[in-house]
Amino acid sequence: MKLPLNRGPLLQGLAIIAFFTFVVLVLIPAYVPRPAFIPGFAPPPDMWPRTVSIIGAVIGLITVVGALFGRGVPTEQITTDGASSKIHFLRFLAVLLCFAGFLILVPLIGFLLSAVVLIGVAIFLAGERKHWVWAAGITLVGPFLLVSFFHSVLGTQFPVGALTKSLGF
Amino acid sequence: MLNEILFALEAVATWQNLLIMAAGIWGGVIVGAIPGMTGTMAVTLALPFTFYMAPVPSILLLVALYKGSTYGGSVSAILIKTPGTASAACTALDGYPLAQQGKAGKALNMALYSSVTGDFISNLSLIFLAAPLAVLALRVGPPEYFMLMLFALSTVAGVSGNSLLLGLISAALGLLLATVGEDLYGSFRFAFTDNMQAGLSVAPVLIGLFALPELIKLIVFRAASRDIAAKLGDQSVTRAEFMGSLKSILRGSSIGVVLGAIPGIGPSAAAFFSYGEAQRSSKNGENFGKGELEGIAASESANNGACGATMIPLLALGVPGDVITGVMLGAFMIQGLTPGPLLFQTNIHEVYMLFIGMLMSSVLLFGAGKMTMRMFSYVSHIPQTLLTPVVLLLCLFGIYSISSSMFDVAILLIMGVVGFGMFLMNIPAAPFLIAFILGPMIEENLRRALAISRGDPAVLLSSPITWIFAVLIVFVIGLTVRREIQKSKIRKA
Repeated sequence: MKLPLNRGPLLQGLAIIAFFTFVVLVLIPAYVPRPAFIPGFAPPPDMWPRTVSIIGAVIGLITVVGALFGRGVPTEQITTDGASSKIHFLRFLAVLLCFAGFLILVPLIGFLLSAVVLIGVAIFLAGERKHWVWAAGITLVGPFLLVSFFHSVLGTQFPVGALTKSLGF
Repeated sequence: MLNEILFALEAVATWQNLLIMAAGIWGGVIVGAIPGMTGTMAVTLALPFTFYMAPVPSILLLVALYKGSTYGGSVSAILIKTPGTASAACTALDGYPLAQQGKAGKALNMALYSSVTGDFISNLSLIFLAAPLAVLALRVGPPEYFMLMLFALSTVAGVSGNSLLLGLISAALGLLLATVGEDLYGSFRFAFTDNMQAGLSVAPVLIGLFALPELIKLIVFRAASRDIAAKLGDQSVTRAEFMGSLKSILRGSSIGVVLGAIPGIGPSAAAFFSYGEAQRSSKNGENFGKGELEGIAASESANNGACGATMIPLLALGVPGDVITGVMLGAFMIQGLTPGPLLFQTNIHEVYMLFIGMLMSSVLLFGAGKMTMRMFSYVSHIPQTLLTPVVLLLCLFGIYSISSSMFDVAILLIMGVVGFGMFLMNIPAAPFLIAFILGPMIEENLRRALAISRGDPAVLLSSPITWIFAVLIVFVIGLTVRREIQKSKIRKA
């Protein structure tokens, strides 16, 4: 008998089983230490994460069984600009680089300047070309306004950069 | 009693008190609307100012900030899919789709009407039902908490979108992530770095999961309508729309009152509970999550309904139910008032003044909401290509200001990427979030209940309250399975 295989949900289910099994077999033994003494009859710290992971793996298994019998999940249509999957992937990579770049830049040039760079790049990547005056205004003035707001209202001290320390930000 | 009330009314209705309450409400709405800024933050910041004020106005200022911030959380949830507070997470599920359809004003109006109604009912309950609700709250122990939270978790079934299984997987991931950090007995779980020993805060996870995927979607897919501003559209809620949601508003307010009166539960669980109940019982249940006004009504009436009710255990028993009422307890003590049963004997005049002031603050909340709504709803006019990066900026600064920690900022960005991944895999984000917020409460109370009973699981069905919730859970599971079977038949047809 040929089963009406539904590959998307099947892979999804397998990935879910693999993840929760990894948590139960590898992460919990390594990263959920049991204390030498537990007062009274209290359940140990690994009881809850283990229970949740086993339930997660069982649900993954049900998804796989469902997929094997052709029961998929209706997917929602994503509206795009018609670019290829490769372009979409490159754009996603750009987002990851943008976020990672922000976290790397903060110790070097401080929170304020890193935010200026991040917002500028984000507006550019979002495809904003029409309202460039607004885009420039938001990029250059927005972070400064927010720093002064949070500093004056909450007294927040935003991290200063190693390279820009002498300039005060 | 009437004389006391009239005297209190006269004492409260001075322009100074009204101004203080109005400032508190306005400040609260603005704070709540800024992603990353919370009601707790506003109340804590305002505490030093109360040292120089008379007892009742100082408490009223803090209560006004609390109420205002709870409503304010819905503003950013509706307009930019960034819940200002965790209790507004369900509001974002229906509010943001409505804003995208050009009905931001309508969604904001419904949020306001429901919040004010919930708040008013909550205040009346505080005045008339404080004693019985406080007694009920005292009967709720770990087994009851556990069953109650488990029932609230059943909301997951309603917000799972197209697939219940994927919703359950999302919830399991949320429950698992909530276990990161120090547990009840001091064990550090999944603490891969030192920063993770304290666990993951709700704000970066919540905001990262809801707000940032919108930016990533915009950048990656660049939908054609990205640089076109949404129209404000029809602003008002019609009488028919309000009446259609009235049942959900009244039920949500009642849920908020009962759950708010129980220490430790708070407005978030009340909002999830109410949203799930409204979805199950509404004839428009299928539209929930796609832009249903009744969803906003259910969520907002419950979270504001819980606000006044959190004062019940504080005033009647001297027990603060959450961080905000903990700060208020401090304010009471600073002013020489000791909350608890004796307060009603020794300071009855102040208690009546507080009650009257809280009722007045409901009216002020309506006024402040109406005045700020037009201003806020113009956010919809901003093209997505500018608005979404601005949201990112607000999130970064807001999250850093909460804990002054770059770790939280990193969590925010990572959760944004996780949220985008979940979107691609068709896994709904709302169950993840609900489970992440309720998870620690569920686990803590389960472990406490098992510890008390020396490991006997029968303790979970040891009282009438636990039985009631057990029956409700079975009922909800039955309903969900039935609905899934019906859905499956429709798909096949």
